[in-house]
Amino acid sequence: MNFSPYFYSQAIKLAMSQIWANRKRSLLTALGIIVGVASTTSVIAALSGLKANVLTEFESFGANRLYVFPDRPDDKPRSMYPRDKIRIKPWEVREIQASCPSLRAITPITEFGVSVASDEKELEGITVVGMWPDWHEAENRRVIAGRMFNTIDERSARQVCLLNEAAIDELRLPAEAVGSHILLDGRRFLVVGIVETLQSRMFGDGGNAAEIFIPFALAMKLQSSDIFIRITALATRTEVSEEARSEITQTMRRIRGIHPGDSDTFQVVAIDQYIQQFKAMAAGITAIAGGIVGISLLVGGIGIMNIMLVSVSERTREIGLRKAVGATPGAIMMQFLLEAMALCLAGGLVGVLIGKLLAIGMTLIPGASLQHADVPLWAVLLSFAFSAVVGLGFGFFPALKAARLDPIEALRHE
Amino acid sequence: MIRVRALRKVYRVGDEAIHALRGVDLDIGTNEMVAVMGASGSGKSTLMNIIGCLDQPTEGSYELDGQRVSHMSEAALALVRNEKIGFVFQSFELLARQTALENVELPLVYSREAGLTGGERTRRALQALERVKLSDRVTHRPSQLSGGQKQRVAIARAILNHPAILMADEPTGNLDSVTTREVMGIFQQLHAEGQTVLIVTHENEVAAFCQRVIRLRDGLVLSDLPIAEDAAGHHQG
Repeated sequence: MNFSPYFYSQAIKLAMSQIWANRKRSLLTALGIIVGVASTTSVIAALSGLKANVLTEFESFGANRLYVFPDRPDDKPRSMYPRDKIRIKPWEVREIQASCPSLRAITPITEFGVSVASDEKELEGITVVGMWPDWHEAENRRVIAGRMFNTIDERSARQVCLLNEAAIDELRLPAEAVGSHILLDGRRFLVVGIVETLQSRMFGDGGNAAEIFIPFALAMKLQSSDIFIRITALATRTEVSEEARSEITQTMRRIRGIHPGDSDTFQVVAIDQYIQQFKAMAAGITAIAGGIVGISLLVGGIGIMNIMLVSVSERTREIGLRKAVGATPGAIMMQFLLEAMALCLAGGLVGVLIGKLLAIGMTLIPGASLQHADVPLWAVLLSFAFSAVVGLGFGFFPALKAARLDPIEALRHE
Repeated sequence: MIRVRALRKVYRVGDEAIHALRGVDLDIGTNEMVAVMGASGSGKSTLMNIIGCLDQPTEGSYELDGQRVSHMSEAALALVRNEKIGFVFQSFELLARQTALENVELPLVYSREAGLTGGERTRRALQALERVKLSDRVTHRPSQLSGGQKQRVAIARAILNHPAILMADEPTGNLDSVTTREVMGIFQQLHAEGQTVLIVTHENEVAAFCQRVIRLRDGLVLSDLPIAEDAAGHHQG
């Protein structure tokens, strides 16, 4: 079937004029498509907004970061793995540091609550973090004033500390806090530096909380028993984070003497892994949304088929005339298919526009983490493709009916 | 121009066979103006449908303009209708939402002629409208036209592709006597310009505008006479 460009231009013009002439009917008919497309595009917009947010969050975290926690295997009785056995020890951290070439930085971290006092103010239950100087690199937190800890601070467990801005505020210290002294559990600490405030928006409200950092060795001394240590490490590059993960796992299994086949007594988590998991989850939700839209498009398609059958029967004489002046069955078929597709595409267009408006609305919801919500181009294209396919699929039967009309009968039709 | 031999058409309605045409032989030459008459059930409509390439005979042969068109495919017949046949119907069959010009251009939508520009299409349609003396109604829609004007638009559409035959089925059935004369005058003028015209009618007044009258009865040609002899015979009979 090869039709002239004039045929197509006239067919499309006719399709448009049919839709316009029956505006109300067309709108009602296309409602199924409109609702289906609008709901999917807005769900996709929300998801992509959420994804953009979460991924930015992860990226700012550093996708090449790894965490090590003590972990009791689920499949064994608790008594087999007492806390002391699974607890991470400082020497294990040093061993990992020495034997994992894919790591750039590593630090043990231990946290405990103390009472803190400045000349102006006394606070109870503030969390103090003990860490190595590598922490700055591993956690991507710079010192904005003063200095970082050095190895002498660590080795000789000097009573020095770093604060963030929130801590300075809460303790009513002067803005230039470096050089001031604070009391941690009654011990006098020198403030040597100020750490930039955590930029995270989604994970914890670290940006607002007071943070105090002291050398790791000192933090160990200050805690009596049951010390919990976790590890933050940074792979040299994001691409080797999986490698770094297995290096840590192997080192830990070796130094802990875990036999092959026995479960790990620790857990190594790469941020990269979380990103993959999140992406998989988002893809899953997108697929479910796609399934839902499939159903609504099916319902919409049945409406289209119904109205196209009505249209064929209303325009029987016109079909007869067109055949008499030389329209082949193929030309009539194409005409009605184009009309069904035009109807669906118009519905798809309205649906995409509504979806777009909903997406803009989402970005205005405060605190919904949807400020990046937007209908991606692929969703727009996919919506149109789906609409066209629905038009083609459900327009086929009515179009075939029109194409098969006998011109003599059609011209006699009342 | 038209050469029909031993044409038969049998319809099956349930178990019953209806013989609409029982062996019709017919020749119509170039630039003839012929009236086809007959009561309903005479096979007149069936014959016209076959000659108009809207239907196929059960038996027999039909040659149009040197081309054997009996037993062509549906798509091939559509092309023949587009290029060689112009239809005029009793109830005009104009598209209500289109202008007179757009209605006349309709056959070009289905034309196989390559490289037809928009300007050329308009030029041809305007020329056809000029031939039916409607140059002043080009942008009017059917609802703004009188019955006679509508039928003239329909005639312009039929002659657009310079068809081998112009077929009119009761073209004045919906028109009053004044308008009938006006429309028949157009047919006569086109005939004078060289057009072959075939008019199906049951009115002697309409047949009187033609040169030759073919009468059918019971699926056979009853008489095929020049208008003068037919009128005489008819009056006697």
